[in-house]
Amino acid sequence: MTQFLSLLLNGISLGAIYALIALGFVVIFKASEVVSFTHGSLLLLGAYSIARLSEPLGFYLAVVVGVAITAFAAFLIERLIINRLRGAPVISLAIVTIGVDIILLTELIRRIGSDILNVPHPWGGGSVRIGDVGISENRLIATLVAGVLIALFFLAFKFSNWGVAMRASAEDGETAALMGIRLGRVSVLAWVIAGVLAGVAALFLVGSPTPGVSPTAYSVALRAFPAAILGGLDSTGGALVGGLLIGLAESFAAGYQDQLLFLGRGFGDVVPYIVMIAVLLFRPSGLFGTRELTRV
Amino acid sequence: MSESTATAARGATRSTGRTAAGPRRSLLRPLLLAVVLLVALALPLYVEEFWLRTGFAVCGAVVGAIGLNLLVGTTGQLSLAHAFFLAVGAVTYVFVSGESGGLGLADLSGLAWPPVVGMIAGVLLAGLAGLLFSPIAARLRGIYLGVASLGLVFIGQHVLNSWTQVTGGFNGRSAPEFSLFGFTFGNTDPDLYVLEVPFREAERLWYLGLVLALGAYLFARNLLRSRPGRALQTLRDSEVAASVMGVNVQRYKARVFLVSSMYAGLAGVMYALSIGSIAPESFGLEVSILYLAMIVLGGLGSVGGAVLGALFVSALPLVFQRYADVVPLVGGSGEGGLAPGEAARFLFGLAIILVILFQPAGLAGLADRFRRRGRDPGGGRPTSASAAATSSSTTAVPSDPPAQGSTS
Amino acid sequence: MSAPAAAADVRSDVPPVLVEGVTVRFGAITALSEVSFTVEPGTIHAIIGPNGAGKSTMFNVLSGVYRAAEGQVRFGEHRLDRMRPYQIAGIGVARSFQNIALSAGQTVAENLMLGRHHLTRAGFVAAGLRLPRATREGRVHGERVAEIAEFLELGDKLHTPVGVLSYGDQKRVEVARALCTEPRLLLLDEPVAGMNAEETDRMAEAVVEIRSALGISVLLVEHDMGMVMSLADRVTVLDFGRRIADGTPAEVQRDPEVIRAYLGSGDEIDPAEAAEAAASGASSSSETPGMPS
Repeated sequence: MTQFLSLLLNGISLGAIYALIALGFVVIFKASEVVSFTHGSLLLLGAYSIARLSEPLGFYLAVVVGVAITAFAAFLIERLIINRLRGAPVISLAIVTIGVDIILLTELIRRIGSDILNVPHPWGGGSVRIGDVGISENRLIATLVAGVLIALFFLAFKFSNWGVAMRASAEDGETAALMGIRLGRVSVLAWVIAGVLAGVAALFLVGSPTPGVSPTAYSVALRAFPAAILGGLDSTGGALVGGLLIGLAESFAAGYQDQLLFLGRGFGDVVPYIVMIAVLLFRPSGLFGTRELTRV
Repeated sequence: MSESTATAARGATRSTGRTAAGPRRSLLRPLLLAVVLLVALALPLYVEEFWLRTGFAVCGAVVGAIGLNLLVGTTGQLSLAHAFFLAVGAVTYVFVSGESGGLGLADLSGLAWPPVVGMIAGVLLAGLAGLLFSPIAARLRGIYLGVASLGLVFIGQHVLNSWTQVTGGFNGRSAPEFSLFGFTFGNTDPDLYVLEVPFREAERLWYLGLVLALGAYLFARNLLRSRPGRALQTLRDSEVAASVMGVNVQRYKARVFLVSSMYAGLAGVMYALSIGSIAPESFGLEVSILYLAMIVLGGLGSVGGAVLGALFVSALPLVFQRYADVVPLVGGSGEGGLAPGEAARFLFGLAIILVILFQPAGLAGLADRFRRRGRDPGGGRPTSASAAATSSSTTAVPSDPPAQGSTS
Repeated sequence: MSAPAAAADVRSDVPPVLVEGVTVRFGAITALSEVSFTVEPGTIHAIIGPNGAGKSTMFNVLSGVYRAAEGQVRFGEHRLDRMRPYQIAGIGVARSFQNIALSAGQTVAENLMLGRHHLTRAGFVAAGLRLPRATREGRVHGERVAEIAEFLELGDKLHTPVGVLSYGDQKRVEVARALCTEPRLLLLDEPVAGMNAEETDRMAEAVVEIRSALGISVLLVEHDMGMVMSLADRVTVLDFGRRIADGTPAEVQRDPEVIRAYLGSGDEIDPAEAAEAAASGASSSSETPGMPS
């Protein structure tokens, strides 16, 4: 029972981080119809920046600057590339983000090399106990911060001008444009928000129990993709649910690894993808995604 | 007017001896193909082993790229799972044609069947894997498929690492030499000389690669020019239009996924032959992405483009490697300069972005443009690839100019 | 209320289309509400109505793109409301799209050949290996496609990519592609929208010829009132998803509710123009059949 609760708690905390990433992914899709395969390396950029800047700037300033760098990178991608491709088929848009991803990832891996960079979280690698259940401080803080950010996001999405504009443009871009909504601005803001979310997620993703910043953080970040897909690419609520589901599934698969040994070591790492495929088998547009209404 | 119209129609068809099914073909293209083929055939007589080995690797990439292009370029279904199907083909080959035995700690099993059987099994099993995934592939919108297929790569990696008995696990296992009815594609057995040039493994594999790549090319080209090909291209441009015109969209998506994964299976077998062994790291996400780079650079939807793209992407790192000291900025690893692999990746990334931004028809489109410049200056014939990349269909409103792709 | 004066030879295998109580909902919105009408064999039947009346939705139901929540659509022994789009195409119901849905990068011929899809068999293997039967099939059907292209004045553009054609030409390719399926029922979604007067006349002529030469039924959604009134044997009027009138062009024009609907939306029928068009339409339909059959 204790183990179960512990895995549950850890799953939720991991899921919260995934949800942050997936949310950014979904926001970008809603605003610009882009499936951003750059997201993994964007996250690695955030982690790398924070780790490298911690020494000269101190931890907190490094976090602020690191997140800002990530957001700025997202901004640049939108302005320099995506913005020029408005109206191009979704598949070209997705492929162009893969191109960006290759460059960014190659450079980051080159810089990181074989080291594991450390982010000196002030909360360190300690863990707290809630009753019998233990969880790393890093993950606990992550859950709280993610909760606050997600709540803020949904409030903004619901009530701010940007949120309204964004929902309108996702609904029907042409009409929204006619109504005076500037699609370009909606899109760039979405990318910046996604960059911020990825930067924050990066901060926690490379903390305890993960050893530090290494290229593996990239493949961890990729597991947020299935989260976004199984929730439904165009559903912000879905990203949240999807993130939690993936986090839980991964946590339990890793926790009960010994019972699952016949499936191979490290099975927990692929569980997110298996869950995603299982869901897509029954719901091709994800749990909460809208089925595309054909307009002819 | 009408009676005469009908007659005119018939007359027109007769006089030109041409029907709607067979568009005009210039002589240039077959001529060019013949020259390329002749050069390719004579190549082993003149170049050294390195280039022939590279050539065989390129042939494998050509096969894989053509297959991926059928799915992504022609049909508009984004897939990142290509590396997975390559792995299925490669693993099947080494398992079916490899021998049982111990390798270090690993206890390998293999059926030791003839390599041809292994190759065919590799293609079929990759197809079967594709078929198993096709309930998902057929129902997903192209973009959902892109992410969902990501899952296959990671699941594949996991299986490659865990199923040691078959795959050799983390360290991989060696691939058996290819042979065809007693003729081995190795260094000896039989010893072979042509014009006093010894034909050893590299030379023999080169011809094998040439035959397979040519077959893959012709099959795909024929396919695109016929009924299923037209259905696939329409499906890419508008699923609704395709289905209303009688195309069973789901079945076609599943079929093309099957065909594409069989191409990947063959490419996987060829990869195993070219390296001489397989390992999990050879079938990671980067491989899928490299294949995507090939078809984007070559030209989405164009079979010839896939060939060019495969040539470019798979040969470039090898060339960098060989000429590391000559190419500017590229140094050997650990000398401060870019490692050849890194330099190539930067180049691919940049090239993908530039192609999508400025030249959606890729290398194939560039080639077209040059050829056209020779013939009729100014006359614009958009390639199917350019339309593929920039406009999903002509949803024209009277006042609108024709879709982006056609104005280039 | 019997079938109006239709073409001389109605093909014997063209059954009526019976639309009975069709209702379509999108979430809370009811796009069509219990719409019924009948398309008699060999007639040109028009659906008209202000913007948003549900005309295109009706077409989407008939071609299987949308599912009706209630009601049924019968075509002979077939229930169109239960079939998938490609199956509907398979029984000889063809459709052209209002927003051109052609493949821009493919040639006219290739686009038209798609219309032959359900009439041909070549699969992946036969096509990829260029088996003789696939090649022969392609040739035979290519000839027919060339005929149809010629009929719609596209003969010299067969090998031109659709993307570079003029708008009017693209519209004609749309209609030609639908014709290439050898339909028994032809659904034309605003075939002359955006065309100039001359192009419109040519298209109207073509529609009349198609009907009289092939003896098939034509169901037409159209905004051009002149064209509707001159061509149609029968007109169904929709407004806000309901059927508000159904009858001959003359009857419909007199219908007070129709007049109200059109005046209300500012989309007026000019009675004089419509009447004139109706008169000229009668003469044009007596032309000699030119559709190659």
